[in-house]
Amino acid sequence: MEVLLQLVLNGILLGGLYAMIGLGMSLIFGIMGIINLAHGDLMIVSTYMSMVLAMQFSGNVFIALLITVIVMMIIGFLVQTFLVNKVVDKGSEPPLLITFGLSIILQNVLMLIFGADAKAIPTQIASENIVTTPWFSISAIYLINFLVSIVVILSLHFIMKKTYFGRAIRATSSDVVASELVGVNTKRIYAYTMCLAMATASIAGLLIGMTFTYSPTTGTQYLIFAFGVVVIGGMGNLVGTLLGGIILGLSQMLGSYFFGTAYQLFSGYIVLLVILTFRPQGLFAEARK
Amino acid sequence: MAFINGNNAAASVKIIILGIIVVSLFTLPFWAPESVVMIFLLIMLYMSLGQMWNLLAGYAGLVSLGQQIFIGLGGYSLAVITEVYHLNFLLAIFVGGVVSGVFALIISLPIFKMKGIYFAISTWVIAEALALYFLNWSFVGYGVGFNIRTTYEMSTSFLYYLSLVLGLGSVLLVYIIMRTKRGLALMAMRDNELAAEVMGIELYKTKLVIFLISAFITGMTGAVLYLNISFIQPYAAFSIDWTVAAVVIVIIGGIGTMEGPIIGAVVYVILKQFLYDFPGISMIILGVIAILIILIAPKGIMGMLHGKFGWELLSPRRSVKNVRQVIHPDCA
Repeated sequence: MEVLLQLVLNGILLGGLYAMIGLGMSLIFGIMGIINLAHGDLMIVSTYMSMVLAMQFSGNVFIALLITVIVMMIIGFLVQTFLVNKVVDKGSEPPLLITFGLSIILQNVLMLIFGADAKAIPTQIASENIVTTPWFSISAIYLINFLVSIVVILSLHFIMKKTYFGRAIRATSSDVVASELVGVNTKRIYAYTMCLAMATASIAGLLIGMTFTYSPTTGTQYLIFAFGVVVIGGMGNLVGTLLGGIILGLSQMLGSYFFGTAYQLFSGYIVLLVILTFRPQGLFAEARK
Repeated sequence: MAFINGNNAAASVKIIILGIIVVSLFTLPFWAPESVVMIFLLIMLYMSLGQMWNLLAGYAGLVSLGQQIFIGLGGYSLAVITEVYHLNFLLAIFVGGVVSGVFALIISLPIFKMKGIYFAISTWVIAEALALYFLNWSFVGYGVGFNIRTTYEMSTSFLYYLSLVLGLGSVLLVYIIMRTKRGLALMAMRDNELAAEVMGIELYKTKLVIFLISAFITGMTGAVLYLNISFIQPYAAFSIDWTVAAVVIVIIGGIGTMEGPIIGAVVYVILKQFLYDFPGISMIILGVIAILIILIAPKGIMGMLHGKFGWELLSPRRSVKNVRQVIHPDCA
C-alpha cells in the first residue's frame, strides 16, 4: 500500500515536470498549428549546454541556466525565422519534415560532440529527500521540478492574458489575417513564441538533467512525452497541460507497479495511444471553432 | 502498350533507356566487382523502403513515421523462423510480410481514426512501444537479439538477386497500383479528400488497402535487410533511422513521383558509403540536404525536373489521349 501511495505521489510530481516539457510544444502547436518534432532534441541540447556551463561555473546551475535560456532563445529565434517560417503556411507536411530533419541533425551533432554515453548534471539535491514519513517520502528534486513547473505555467498564463505580447500571440493563433490587418507582424510573433517555447524547454532541460540521466537520443522519448502531454491535456490549454502531465506521470508509475518497472515507458505510450484513439482533441480541450 | 507517355520518338527513347537499365541490373554480378554489387543491393532495398513510404505519404496522403514497425517485424520474423523453427528463409521472408500486414490491420483500427500529425506520431509511438516490448520478451532473446545464421552460406550475388526482385518489384507494384482505378482514387484523395469522397471514393477502404500493401512489402524488405545484416536486436530493428532513411530518400528524389525513391535511394546509399567511416556526419549531411531540398525544391529532384521540363520517365497518369477517350468518348 505504501508503495502505491509513493508511486502515486511520484507520478503527480513527475507530472509537473512532464507538463513543463509539453508546455513549449503546446505553445507552438496552439499558435502555429505545427508540431515541432525537434522539441525534445532542442530540450536535450539545452540540457547538454547547461551541463557544460555548470561545469565551467563550478556547479552554479543558476548562471548556467540563465546563459542557456538566452542562447536557446536566440537559437529558437533563428530556427523559426530562417527555417520554419518559410514553410509554416505551406501545408502540414513541410514543417513536419523540416523539424524532423532538424531533429536528426541535432541528435547526431550531440552524438559527435559528446558521445553516446549517458550523462547527468551532478547536484547534491538530486538524491536527498525533503519529506520522510513512514508512509512515503518526497524527493527534493521531484518537488523542485513540480514547484518550478507550477511557477512557469502560472507565469506563462499571466503573460498570455495580461500583456500586449500575450494578446498579440492569442490574436495570431486565432486569426492570422485579422491580426495582420491590425498591425501584428505574425511571422515575428511566431519567432517570439518559439523563443518562449525554448525558454521553457531550457528550464525543463536543466531539471531533466538533474533528475535523470540523458544521452543524445533521449530527445525522442521526451518528444513523445511532450506530445502525450499536449494531446491528453488539450492543445493550447495551459492548465490542461499540467493535468496532462500529471496523468502521463501517473500512468507511467501505475504501469510500472502493475506490470513491472521495465514497462514504465511502455504504459505511458499505451495510455497515450488509447487517448489518441478515443479523444484526440484531449481530455480538457477548449472549444475551438 | 501505351505505358510511356509522349510522342513516338520520346517514348521509344524512354523504353530503350529503361531496357538498358533493367538488363544491366539483372546481369550486374557478372561484370561488376562485389563491392558494387553490394552497393546496388542496398540501393534496391532502400528503394523498396522509399517506394512504400512514398505510396503512403506521396500518393495516399498518410505521412507515416513508423515504417520501422514493419522493418522490425519483418526482420524478427526472419530471425525467429530460421533460428527458432529452422525453416526455409524464403518462407521466413514471406511470413515477415504477412506478420507486418496483419499487425498493420490491427493498428489501423485505432490509428485510422486520427488525422495528419496525430496519425504520424501514433505510428512513431507504436514503434517505440514495440521496441520496448521486444526488449522485454524472452521469446526473441530480450535485448541480446539473434544471430541470423542462414546468411552465412549465402553469396553476395544471391542476396543481390533477392533485393533486385524486391526493389524492382516494388517499383512495378507502385506503377501497377497507380495505373488502376484505385491509383486514380488515391491521387484524387491526396488532392482533396472531401471532393474525392463526394465523387464516391471510399476513403477508408482505399487507405487501408494501401496501408496493408505498404506494410507487407516493407515487412519483406525488412526481412531481406536483416538477411544482409545477419544480426538483429530491438533498438536497431525498431529504430526511427529506418523511417529517416525512407523520408530523406523520398524528399530528395521527389515526393509523389515514382522515380523519386529510385534517385533518392541512389543518393542515400552512395552518400552513406562515402561517409562510412564517419557515421554521425553522414546523418547530419543527409538531414541538412533534406532541409535544403524542402526549402528550395520541395518537390525533390524529380519534382523539379517535372516542373521545369515536364519530364517524367514513369508516369502514373495515362496519356492525355486515353483519358480524353475514357471521359469524353466524343472528343478527339
